[in-house]
Amino acid sequence: MKAIASRRRIFAVTILTVTALTIPAMVSADDITQLKSELETLKKQVNELKKLLITQQKTVASKAEVDSVKQEVREVAKRSGEWKIADSAVHLAGYGAVGYTDGENSDGAFNLVTFNPIFHYQYKDLFLLEAELELEVGEDGETEVALEYATIDWLINDYAVLVAGKFLSPLGQFRQNLHPTWINKFASAPPGFGHDQAAPLAEVGAQLRGGFPFMKQGRANYAVYVGNGPLIELDGDEIEAVETEGLASNADGELIWGGRFGILPVPMLEFGISAAFGDVGPEGEENLLRSYRTYGVDAAYQIGSEWDFRGEYISQRVGSNTTSAAPESATFRTWYVQGAYKFLPTKWELVARYGDYDSPHASQNQEQWGIGVNYLFASNAIAKIGFESNDGLRGETTDDDRFLLQLTYGF
Amino acid sequence: MKNHKIFGLGIFSVVSYMAIAVVVQAMQVSTVVASETERAGDIGRGAGLWSQNCARCHNMRDPKEFRDDLWKPIVTHMRIRAGLTGQDTRDILVFLQASN
Repeated sequence: MKAIASRRRIFAVTILTVTALTIPAMVSADDITQLKSELETLKKQVNELKKLLITQQKTVASKAEVDSVKQEVREVAKRSGEWKIADSAVHLAGYGAVGYTDGENSDGAFNLVTFNPIFHYQYKDLFLLEAELELEVGEDGETEVALEYATIDWLINDYAVLVAGKFLSPLGQFRQNLHPTWINKFASAPPGFGHDQAAPLAEVGAQLRGGFPFMKQGRANYAVYVGNGPLIELDGDEIEAVETEGLASNADGELIWGGRFGILPVPMLEFGISAAFGDVGPEGEENLLRSYRTYGVDAAYQIGSEWDFRGEYISQRVGSNTTSAAPESATFRTWYVQGAYKFLPTKWELVARYGDYDSPHASQNQEQWGIGVNYLFASNAIAKIGFESNDGLRGETTDDDRFLLQLTYGF
Repeated sequence: MKNHKIFGLGIFSVVSYMAIAVVVQAMQVSTVVASETERAGDIGRGAGLWSQNCARCHNMRDPKEFRDDLWKPIVTHMRIRAGLTGQDTRDILVFLQASN
């Protein structure tokens, strides 16, 4: 029995010993495998982090770079806002036109090439210097240059501006506001509104003008001026023409006073009256003074964006002087009415005009019907085609009907 | 002849009187309440004035045609041409500058 018990104890001890030696060896192998796996994972993550770090180093700016960019932004922002605080502003405007005319008794010709740059220089809300040149190709090919106007405008306050220099005549509307080719809806000026005709063109002197509210929704505007006045040309025993291009001289020593008052009782409807008077001494007879009077009325009305109606009457009268070589008085008068309709939303516009110019010289008289079609590439780029039915002295150019083509651009 | 002379003198007198009255009144107003006459432009009012005044003479120009700084002398030029007030001009200017 004892021997059996002893063998059992020896067997048990052996089993325990083998078990004790075997089990630790098995756990250690699993851990190593797991640790190897984790190590591989960590290696991958470290490599990815390295790559990410390299990428960030390439793409992320340094503090110095960020500061530099901030400085650049500050400088650009300052420059972009400089115009708001600049005392002076400069702007180049103007217009140009080319035209073709085919008359009833004359061959067709490209007879219009003009370029009118307009310069604007403004100092604060105090002064504006503005000037327009007219560059034109003459019939002989020579380039003709004229100073249409050049003024220094003093913005006295919200209601008054003093304009000094050579300015467009403020009498009526056409000459001062409507004659630029991109504004004039017809391809020619109304009869009597050209050079040496009924409507004064320009004046050299000083002018006070402005506007103010009138009643509840109305507005009014005014212009009063004094200038050297026109040059009266004599031809034999009659007055040939009244030149009103604006003279920088005053041979007769007399100044002309004039002005216009306009009123808009409601927006888009304007009525104006104009007048000028003084004494003039004709060229060569500067001491033989005679009266000079100009009267005018004008009106304009727009309905919506489609309709535009306007009309104007103006008369220049040079009085008589019995001691002159040309003792008789002379009256140059003209008027016109015009209606235009835009076929919105298309770019087409239809315009019709009637005008009648009466001069002391029968050869200059002209009654005219005109109809035209315009295509507006843009509001300031326009192609015009027009037809004038003219009635003047037989055999004179004023009697020739004409087709007109014009392309004009205002900028 | 005589009637014409009287008529002309009458018109000129009326225009001159109104012009002088406006200038005198404006100068008084600007002296007493300068802040009111010099107030900044109003975009809403400018939009209305732009649509009512520009087309009196010419086709409407798109506000996007010019930069902000160019609109300033343009609008000043148009103030003189169209007989606008200084306040009208400021209103139209801020409208154009906000719409381009």
